[in-house]
Amino acid sequence: MVNKTLLLFLIILLGFVSCVERPDFDQLDDLRVTPTIESSILYVESPEDLLNKSTDSIFYSQNFSFDGFSEDVFADRVLEGVISYELENTTSKELEIIIGFLDENGSLLDVEKFHMDPAPTIPLKRDVEYGGGSGKSLEIIKNTSSIGFNITNMGDHTSISNLPDPKIIFRSSGKFRMRIR
Amino acid sequence: MRLILVFLLVYLSICAQLSAQNKQLLYDFTDIPDALMVNPGMLTDFEWYVGLPIISGVSVQAGSNAITVHDLFAADGLDFNDKVMDRMIYKLDENDHLSSTNQITLFNGGFRGRNLNDFYSFGIYSETDGIGYYFKDYAILAIEGDSIQSPRSFNLNHLNTRAEMVNVFHFGINRKIDKKLTVGARAKIYSSVLNFTSTENKGHFITTEGERNLVANTLDADLEVKTSGLNNIVDAWENDRSQLPGIVARRMFFGGDLGFGADFGFTYHLNKKTVITGSILDLGFVYNSTDVKNYTLKGSATIEGIEAILPVAPSDADKDYWQVLVDDINEMVPYSTNNDSYITFRPTKLYGSLRYNFGKPIPSRRGYDCKDYVREGRGYDSYNNALGGQLYVVNRPKGPQAALTAFYLHRFGNAMAIKTTYTVDKFSYSNIGVGLNLQAGPVNLYLMADNLLAYNNLADSHYASFQFGLNIISWGKK
Repeated sequence: MVNKTLLLFLIILLGFVSCVERPDFDQLDDLRVTPTIESSILYVESPEDLLNKSTDSIFYSQNFSFDGFSEDVFADRVLEGVISYELENTTSKELEIIIGFLDENGSLLDVEKFHMDPAPTIPLKRDVEYGGGSGKSLEIIKNTSSIGFNITNMGDHTSISNLPDPKIIFRSSGKFRMRIR
Repeated sequence: MRLILVFLLVYLSICAQLSAQNKQLLYDFTDIPDALMVNPGMLTDFEWYVGLPIISGVSVQAGSNAITVHDLFAADGLDFNDKVMDRMIYKLDENDHLSSTNQITLFNGGFRGRNLNDFYSFGIYSETDGIGYYFKDYAILAIEGDSIQSPRSFNLNHLNTRAEMVNVFHFGINRKIDKKLTVGARAKIYSSVLNFTSTENKGHFITTEGERNLVANTLDADLEVKTSGLNNIVDAWENDRSQLPGIVARRMFFGGDLGFGADFGFTYHLNKKTVITGSILDLGFVYNSTDVKNYTLKGSATIEGIEAILPVAPSDADKDYWQVLVDDINEMVPYSTNNDSYITFRPTKLYGSLRYNFGKPIPSRRGYDCKDYVREGRGYDSYNNALGGQLYVVNRPKGPQAALTAFYLHRFGNAMAIKTTYTVDKFSYSNIGVGLNLQAGPVNLYLMADNLLAYNNLADSHYASFQFGLNIISWGKK
């Protein structure tokens, strides 16, 4: 009886014996976390009657502070990206729109120019790549602290488009791949 | 950083359903006095017992349902990123969780009262209990990001977690009502060391095409993280770690948040050999009022970048458009802190069992004398075999979780008893456990382990638990 009990006890003890196959935690060094974030940047809209009220050829000029790109959390982690522009001109005016990327000292880093014919015209769409080998320098984005925005009226100051609610509309967004790890 | 990442990955990898508190091996193991802690109404024949401090009644449990450490970190030559994506990020869902309960008995004991039908037990134990559901949408947002090409509403209620450390002072009464029925109750005072609760979050984050601009980011958040006792500990950890033991010890012994609770249980003989039992544990709460700091993020905002709509927004060289945008977001979705007290309820557990005894009767070791028999009548004997089923339910933030256990118990006289269990729950169909109770004179030693089939490689195990205890027991003079 004692031997049987002892044998059973030993079998049970064996049941408690466990093994651990050694994990390789160094694989963690291979982990890549690179999400893509997407957000709007700037939206500007103006009706045609306002264009007609201005006698200057540069109808609108504004420097928009935009520190989002130069914040460490973004600038230190951005890998590549695309800025998308979409312009819609339903006015009777020929327009030129200039976007300037400025650093914190106001120095110009990069420029995008858009020429819009008078309505009727299809919306102008443009994607500008940064980084990723074929794009513009990513440093432009990383150092941008403000965006200069100019609308130049290259047409007259009296005509009215026959389209309903004539406007110039500027839309823009950014899509960037970030390195979280 | 690396350590944190390892922890997070291991945490995510073992995001688990787990029958964490399920002490199915200990439940109704009437040879072991510690079983009173899971059913204060169990059958007792001890005259008195005392558990050896610290090493009596130690239980550690952890586990996973969907993935193991081995799945991610095995040296199998597979791409680690593929393993993380396929086996964790996209495989787990928000109902998977990691939970763990550890108990260490500081001291415990029990004695039979003047009325021999009454048995009193008392003690102090420290319990750490935590649960964290897999924050799936947060993980996918971090891995993939957001995109209008494949818009997805990220559900913010996937942040669902709570953790606490309490010291429990308890006193229980076990009374044999008659030959058939034994009942018990236990009063508990909780002295909470720390609490961390974030279980009622709501809201979503989504990126879509904008109404005016190209992209709209919408955040609708109602998030709250409540903490109590954490700030002093974190401060001490960062500034003067020598203060930590004092802070923890003070809060363990009534210097922190207090709460009250109770356990109830019963054992009823349907006939000579068939027994039903049941218990409900930790019906209680803690009032968190000291060192409280709560964090909230509540509000709703849709952002389409900086906007200038003429003529409403004329040229203004001095306007800081970026800061205005940031301020607008902060105003619409304010982040704030407060020190409001709050109540947390303990994770209540429910046990039930049906047991059929058979085989050779084993007389009680209790030192009955003739007067006892005259007063009480002869009680039911134990048998060397018992077979039955048990039910376990625990209340969790996302609802109750249940486990079903079949067991067989065999006694080798009064010196040794073995209980084997087969437990099925939502996530495991192969959980076999063994509990061994040894009685050498007055010395009682027990060892219990779960999920033995997985012990050939613990790193590949979804679940593991271990319990042991050492008691000195007396059955009175024969």
